[in-house]
Amino acid sequence: MAATSVYSSPGFDFSNQLRNNFLTEKGLPLPKATSTGTTIVGCLFEDGIILGADTRATEGPIVADKNCEKIHYITESIRCCGAGTAADTEFVTNFISSNMEMLALTHGRKPRVVTAMTMLKQYLFRYQGHVGAALVLGGVDATGPNLFTIHPHGSTDKLPYVTMGSGSLAAMAVFESGWKANMSREDALQLVKDAISAGIFNDLGSGSNVDACIITANHTEMLRNVEMPNQRVQKEKTYVFRRGTTAWKKENIRDLIVSEDVTPVGTEAMDTS
Amino acid sequence: MNSFADRFAITGPIAELRKAQANVEDDEFSDAAWGSEAGFGSLAKGIPTFTVPNVPDPSSFLRLHTDDHADPNCRIKIQHGTTTLAFRFQGGVIVAVDSRATAGSYVASGTVKKVIEINPYLLGTMAGGAADCQFWETYLGMHCRLHELRNRERISVSAASKYLSNLVYSYKGMGLSMGTMICGWDKTGPAVFYVDSDGTRLKGDLFSVGSGSTFAYGVLDQGYRWDLSDEEAQELGRRSIYAAGHRDAFSGNTCNLYHVKEDGWRFIGNYDLSQMHYEGPSGTGYGYDIRVEGRSSADAPPATAA
Amino acid sequence: MPDMVSLDRAGPQQRQFNPYSDNGGTILAIAGADFSVIAGDTRQSEGYNIQTRYAPKVFKLTDKAVLAVNGFAADGNMFVKRVRQRLEWYRHAHAKDMPLRAIARLIQTMLYGRRFFPYYVYNILGGIEEDGSGAVYSFDPVGSYERESCRAAGAAQSLVQPFLDNQIYFKNQTAAPGTTHPKHLPLQEVLSLVIDSFTSATERHIEASVGDGLEMYVVLARGSQLQGLENVPNVQEMTTTSDGERIFIIRRELKKD
Repeated sequence: MAATSVYSSPGFDFSNQLRNNFLTEKGLPLPKATSTGTTIVGCLFEDGIILGADTRATEGPIVADKNCEKIHYITESIRCCGAGTAADTEFVTNFISSNMEMLALTHGRKPRVVTAMTMLKQYLFRYQGHVGAALVLGGVDATGPNLFTIHPHGSTDKLPYVTMGSGSLAAMAVFESGWKANMSREDALQLVKDAISAGIFNDLGSGSNVDACIITANHTEMLRNVEMPNQRVQKEKTYVFRRGTTAWKKENIRDLIVSEDVTPVGTEAMDTS
Repeated sequence: MNSFADRFAITGPIAELRKAQANVEDDEFSDAAWGSEAGFGSLAKGIPTFTVPNVPDPSSFLRLHTDDHADPNCRIKIQHGTTTLAFRFQGGVIVAVDSRATAGSYVASGTVKKVIEINPYLLGTMAGGAADCQFWETYLGMHCRLHELRNRERISVSAASKYLSNLVYSYKGMGLSMGTMICGWDKTGPAVFYVDSDGTRLKGDLFSVGSGSTFAYGVLDQGYRWDLSDEEAQELGRRSIYAAGHRDAFSGNTCNLYHVKEDGWRFIGNYDLSQMHYEGPSGTGYGYDIRVEGRSSADAPPATAA
Repeated sequence: MPDMVSLDRAGPQQRQFNPYSDNGGTILAIAGADFSVIAGDTRQSEGYNIQTRYAPKVFKLTDKAVLAVNGFAADGNMFVKRVRQRLEWYRHAHAKDMPLRAIARLIQTMLYGRRFFPYYVYNILGGIEEDGSGAVYSFDPVGSYERESCRAAGAAQSLVQPFLDNQIYFKNQTAAPGTTHPKHLPLQEVLSLVIDSFTSATERHIEASVGDGLEMYVVLARGSQLQGLENVPNVQEMTTTSDGERIFIIRRELKKD
């Protein structure tokens, strides 16, 4: 008799996929993953790279997080914007960030942006699009500023200005009309803000605030909520409920403090020295 | 298979439809739409007319776009899910229904009137498509009145139910969905007829229709006798709807109770089901107290006389 | 080379006929003792795209009836057009406006007339009954209807309706000992609830009401006071007769993301 195998293969477990496909056919759809129907952008400017992102996370038509962070840390001078399935973008950037740190420690020098890009595309290609991460990767390394987009199936682009996510068309329209080579820091930041704002206002999947990240050769500046055009309005009423609003069937109050009477028997205190 | 034959047949509903399609453009606003006949005005020509999509198989078009329980993704939700019951006994007819309307898993309404007051002597219940029941039972009410005017006597429950049954049968296969009980009092005494959109028409003493009917039958069957008193019968109806509302997710909210006697129907009351669960008819709940008593030290069992 | 003979033999080709789409948005109506408030947002969307930021979903039918339509905008606009035509004809025949309950029944028969080719619209009719009380009627796409005192429909109905159930019907709220919940709320209170419903839906729903503009119609019964309406910003009177019900519209901005 063959012994039961204790070996489990590394990586994802696809053993439920057949079952899930069957259930989907029977009309029981899979639960929706939180996705960042998103606008993310990146562009080159004279000193480096600016990345931008909106801050809305959605679950179907519901806003799951009004102020999430979509610009992920890879290394000090490399950052990555994520669109697609929130869990996948979060995990994949974390994973690559960790590998990049290992690489830095192994070789004793700063790893390059292309290295991160290659690791990401190889990882994503291996899973044939099942890892739903669409990324904008940007940073400055020994070779200068680098900007890439990485699609969920593993294909990549290297361009001076890029957009991704459901608001990519709105944002790209702004870049196409406004981007110029060697822009100043101020102009480039304004352009990124405008591109993200175009996504926020014209794409229903994007919304809330603008995040930006300015990466130059020796400094990275994370501008969290650099613009907040969609502040919550004051509600007309205050909703406070009177004590006793919730109906109850019976009331039972128990004392949770246990009290105990102690009678000292010996006359001398114990020697504790 | 049949759709091929249907397409070229000159009789039957599909053919009728095709004829209707031919003159749909100028028919949608007939002369009757002017003035006070507006509304049911199209009746002036006998039967109401319907707009039908200009496709080879209109009923499959309708099935594609309206939920037939199976597809929760389709856009047009028709309200479903119900418990209704009616029974005959010595003192007349008891009609009890819940008041919940669901669209998929969403409770679309908790205040639906599922008893349709056709006229002072006739009641119809509503299960299946809410609009189908409301519309056709209102329409039935008009014809019951026409019958009175023509024949100088009230229509029998049997005749009224047969009128409805014949009517829905003529639309068979086109997607109507209704399961109804026509209840009333006529020369023969109390009467209950079950009519559904398949064309079934049954005379009987006791019926329950809808997704919660199995739960209602459970209570109804063990408590039913012909010689129930009026109060006992009303309580049985109420209790049965409570049981269905408690166990069926697609039924609930409140119970509407009617009692039909020789002089016509009477509305007995509207009862909140969750209130019945906790407080019941006499301060002790139908469900809650029975379930929790004696289950924890904080809730000691009642002292038994022993 | 395509085989034309066998292609011909294949018989009639059937194609999917899909004349419907969903244009998002949310509508809502609340009835008071002697008034009725009917509101809707003004965004029209399809998928993740905004088609327009101003497309009204709430329409004045007569001086005492307002109809809100939600679902497929093309069907909705056509439906309102047809209802208005029938009401116009009624006015010519009877020299008066159709009463609200009659409009409700008219809408039922018009919707049911398309039982086999439905209008993909959810209707809410609000206004003043002949007895001077505020009323709300809600419809499903094929015409089943019911008179209620409040109703939300559309993309954010599952967010707004539970809130209204709690605040209007006082569901899951027990009254303080010795008191009862009011049967009807005052106009000011109702307007606040409507605004809060929409600002909240806007925050948490992407296509829904979410956004752009809010239009609230207020219908006041014959001879009733303004009840503070004169102090509301951006209010505009739309009454056409001098001695009947009065009708007002209030416009507000909503978030635009």
